[in-house]
Amino acid sequence: MKKLFLTLACIALGGIALAQNAQLPQNITIKALDGTSVQTSAIQNDGKPMIISFWATWCKPCNRELNTIKEVYEEWQEETGVKLVAISIDDARSAARVKPHVDGNGWEYEVYLDQNQDFKRAMNVVNVPHTFVVNGKGEIVWQHTSFVEGSEEELLEVVKKAAMETEK
Amino acid sequence: MKTLSKYLRTIVCVGLILIFQFSVLNSVSAQGIMGGHVTGNIQLDGQISSADSIIGAQDVPEWLLMNARADILYTNGGFSAGLRFEAYQNPMLGFDNRYKGEGIANYFVSYQGEKLSVTAGNFYEQFGSGMILRAYEDRYLGIDNSLRGLNVTLRPFNGVTIKALAGKQRYFWNYADGMVRGIDGEVNLNSIIRCMAESRFRATLGAGFVSKYEDDQTIAFPDNPSYRLNLPLNVGAGAVRMDLAYGNWGLQAEYAHKGQDPSIMNNFIYREGEALMLNATYSQKGFSANVQAKRVDNMSFKSVRSESGEMLYINYIPAITKQHTYAFLSMYPYATQTTGEMGLQGDVMYKIKKETLLGGKYGTDIHINGSIITGIDTNNIGGAGTRGYESDWFKTGDLYYADASLEVAKKLSKAVKLTCTYGYQVFNPVVEGHNGPLHHNHIVVGDLTWKVNKKNVLRFEAEWMGSDSKYDPNVDDKRCGDWIMGLVEYNFTSAWFVSVSDQYAYQDGIGNYYNVSVGYNHGATRLQLGYGKQREGLLCIGGVCRQVPASNGLTFSLTTSF
Repeated sequence: MKKLFLTLACIALGGIALAQNAQLPQNITIKALDGTSVQTSAIQNDGKPMIISFWATWCKPCNRELNTIKEVYEEWQEETGVKLVAISIDDARSAARVKPHVDGNGWEYEVYLDQNQDFKRAMNVVNVPHTFVVNGKGEIVWQHTSFVEGSEEELLEVVKKAAMETEK
Repeated sequence: MKTLSKYLRTIVCVGLILIFQFSVLNSVSAQGIMGGHVTGNIQLDGQISSADSIIGAQDVPEWLLMNARADILYTNGGFSAGLRFEAYQNPMLGFDNRYKGEGIANYFVSYQGEKLSVTAGNFYEQFGSGMILRAYEDRYLGIDNSLRGLNVTLRPFNGVTIKALAGKQRYFWNYADGMVRGIDGEVNLNSIIRCMAESRFRATLGAGFVSKYEDDQTIAFPDNPSYRLNLPLNVGAGAVRMDLAYGNWGLQAEYAHKGQDPSIMNNFIYREGEALMLNATYSQKGFSANVQAKRVDNMSFKSVRSESGEMLYINYIPAITKQHTYAFLSMYPYATQTTGEMGLQGDVMYKIKKETLLGGKYGTDIHINGSIITGIDTNNIGGAGTRGYESDWFKTGDLYYADASLEVAKKLSKAVKLTCTYGYQVFNPVVEGHNGPLHHNHIVVGDLTWKVNKKNVLRFEAEWMGSDSKYDPNVDDKRCGDWIMGLVEYNFTSAWFVSVSDQYAYQDGIGNYYNVSVGYNHGATRLQLGYGKQREGLLCIGGVCRQVPASNGLTFSLTTSF
């Protein structure tokens, strides 16, 4: 058992070293808020960086994150061209609340439903919020779990860096 | 057993080495056909627990309880393969003891293409909202209904999805005998009808059918034990659904029907089952409202007819009550009664604009919510082997649960944000399987976040619950009585946090839940240590939300993904 776990840990560390620039999964089906099925290959931003945030209506820190970014979103877009894509992991219990929740909060993000959690599993999301930054080439360059007021500044720095890399 | 675990170990090693090789090759030949990525996540939860009759923590002879899990995923274009290792040495409190052990719990190979997706091995799937089929997992609740078999999805043209699957359900470390087969189709009219492409009217229609096969068994007829029940070996369930939207309006409806399915869950009656779910929404920027209604009658659908409890559900009937996150508001969670219930729920969100009298400098958010759930009307016409009961569709049964809440969130200054919540609840203990008087609870919550500067954030939470329930040692419901709670949380950037909290029953109750937690986040890695007494439930501290089991003593948790 111990041996096995050690092996797993080693492989995992090996994985960390090698999987630096994992691409965003392409053909996983998620749903847009109007009920249409969309494949994850449709998550694009014309070669500019994207923030992908996994959240749920019932998750307070997720809501704090998305509400905090809302206030600076326009500035961020002007500065870096970034687009925020919010992936709701709400299940059948609260999925019907997602659209009213998004509109009620006045969020102008691109929002998708991942009810079957296929995208969540493919991205190895364990807890929400879990936020990724994807560069213009569709590579995942940064990820973080948890949100506290003020940590949006760190996120902006990462987005700026990703935007600069893309321009090169 | 020993040979089996040896065999599994070999598989893991070979699998991991293969994956490792793939990724090494990948780094060597950057654009080669072997290109691909290894990703995964690891989770380790443990508790060093001591007995405490007051909070219901049992004496644990092994002193250390641990749940561990690692998912390893290899992806190469549309192709992916994964396996999951799980170990419960021994299962943590609140997890079924039948999970005890270790091994490869889940594996699959999958191809995800534009028109075709195929998964062989363990998979998760859902038809519509899941009323006839939902294979899902909730790692923190110890639920894994994954099917092992084959799952095929076809997307012949844009807007049309057809799913077909067959498999057996996971049952701890084995697979249930019952076989589950299903087919589902969904059409988005805006994609297939040209003149509707740009229409403000959006419509998606769907229908599914699921069949379960299980071998015959002998179950005696209760009135005359020399006769046995003639059990259906195949049980079918079908559902139709629609999702309509026009401008700001939306309407979702789903109706499910299930054939005769005598089981331990419905006391072996031959009544057919049905469920209806309706949801209507109106939303615009800064305002939204939604109303949900449902009626469920005899809709417990499991792959094994003699299985009681929480395992082996093929379908999922969601609770429509709001999922609260504050400790006292979520102390009495409502669990769906799949055998029969009716419910109504409503939600309103409103944003009072900035620079108005009530909105102030930053605006104010108001959220109102209410729900009421009752049983269905039943008129008994017999026991096992009969149709059981008749039911008047529109007549309600006993009150099971009702709640109403008002939440006001306001930014007081650039640095301070305050959220105040008032909630009222009526809870019938019969939904948890015991009789007793209704509990009426009033709850008040204040939640204040103070961003001291760029790096330091403090959060304070105070809660009060006044209840007409009194602790009774014969019933042993430890939530009874009047409670107060305080919580202070300090965050240093999003990296470090410390939180201290206490919940205390000051009148008519028992219990004092004190807790100290420290956590560290770095990238996708999170480490948390806690000491104290913890009630089971949803816990949102240190910037994330997760379900936690009851504990008394030291707890630790590590999650990482890569």
